[in-house]
Amino acid sequence: MKFSIALAIAALATSLPALADRLDDIQKAGVLRVAAFDSNPPFGFLDGKTRQISGLDVDVAQAIAKKIGVKLELVPTNPANRIPLLVAGKADLVAANFTVTDERRKQVDFSLPYFASGQQFIARKGILKTPEQLAGLRVGVDKGTTQEIHLREKYPQTTLVAYDDTPLAFTALRNGNVQAISQDGSKLVALLAQAPDKQKYELAPFTLTREYQAIGVPKGETRLVSLVNDTLKELEKSGSAKTIYERWFGPDTKQPLPRDFKIGDQS
Amino acid sequence: MPSPPAWLGHSWLAPQYLGWLGQGLLLTAWLALLVCVLGTLLGIVLTALADSQHKAPRYVAQLFLTAHRNTPLMVQLLLWYFGMPSLLPESALMWLNAPHALALPFGLQLPWPSFEFLAALLALSCYGASFIAGELAAGLNAVPRGQREAAKALGLTALQAFRWVILPQALVIVRRPLLGQYTGIIKNTSLTMAIGVAELSYRSRQVESQTLLTFQAFAVATVLYLALILLWQLAGRSREPAWRGAR
Repeated sequence: MKFSIALAIAALATSLPALADRLDDIQKAGVLRVAAFDSNPPFGFLDGKTRQISGLDVDVAQAIAKKIGVKLELVPTNPANRIPLLVAGKADLVAANFTVTDERRKQVDFSLPYFASGQQFIARKGILKTPEQLAGLRVGVDKGTTQEIHLREKYPQTTLVAYDDTPLAFTALRNGNVQAISQDGSKLVALLAQAPDKQKYELAPFTLTREYQAIGVPKGETRLVSLVNDTLKELEKSGSAKTIYERWFGPDTKQPLPRDFKIGDQS
Repeated sequence: MPSPPAWLGHSWLAPQYLGWLGQGLLLTAWLALLVCVLGTLLGIVLTALADSQHKAPRYVAQLFLTAHRNTPLMVQLLLWYFGMPSLLPESALMWLNAPHALALPFGLQLPWPSFEFLAALLALSCYGASFIAGELAAGLNAVPRGQREAAKALGLTALQAFRWVILPQALVIVRRPLLGQYTGIIKNTSLTMAIGVAELSYRSRQVESQTLLTFQAFAVATVLYLALILLWQLAGRSREPAWRGAR
């Protein structure tokens, strides 16, 4: 029901003549309102020192505000609120590790992806180098996640042990109950960074699935979408995209994760 | 078969998922059976210790009973599975988690159970034994003191008196309460899903996350638990007249 109302609103909005669109409103107000996470490091989190929301998503949002020439205002959000904030007009954009899915495309528009993640593995060093080696291993997963379902369907030879959350699965790995654990790559590196015995483990050098994160834009705001896309392309061209990435996932950070995706690789 | 209404998600559980639940049921029954046997044996030992003439065994038994009866079973499971291994040296951990096979005579092999299963068996047995010991002690107290003295007068040692005079009478008295404890053990096995034992509750959650048929997944699990426990109680009750006759 909620869904169909959202669709109706979106349909209505697109059918109206574009007298003044969202980009004009933003320029007139002088403020770009962007929904970002406030507790999901390193994408968006409340920095203890500066007491400001910062992170990779925030850096990207800042670049877009700069391009338009307005001030950036961050609207804190959680995963469930991202679409409602956009549809209700409480935010102009969503920059909150927002994964592109067909289901979401029915309600919002997406920019070019600026980040990619996927199902990865942490294993004891030297055990897991290729997906073929998964057969016969005991792998820990989180109950009810897409990772559990994907492994069960595609790798029936793998013994899965499902735990209540990722830290418990990681404890089972450190105890030797499982030989590897599987989750979203960016989540795994952050977890590995905290382990006291992290030198014993490594991120397996392959990714099973690919998911793309992009900026969410209200449905039908084509000028805003192309402006965001232009900004992202410029960031990649000037090398700023790489600089931003390295600031949060570079070799000197808490969660080093090699950059294997460039803006423009995926539309 | 007609399609179920919308609130049931427009779909029945596919046979594949019923198979998953069936496997879960088998593991639940097998785990519960082993826990009942091990818990009863351990319970008897604890009762004997608590009944000892000497102080030291009585204290050991009391410590065990107090620790296991007064802490949540979930915490004990987490302690056995996640906590204890972190104390063991790495070589011992590797051995525990590697597949082994116990060689039996006639060329048969008994596969080594998973560490999840072992931890569950240990935690549930200790927990169950602490309550079973309570029932047994109550049963022993209900046997008149004169019986023990009479056995002594006949020249039986303390152990002989316990084994041949006191215990058989106490067992008759504690039959019903013990059946209740065993029912509790079957239900308690469901907590082992937290440490990754693929028993019935774990399987039902797995079916739920795969099919999104929430009601069906948990309803079938409920029915299977109920069937298992009723069957178990029926089996326990049906032998009662013979036992009662022994009194």
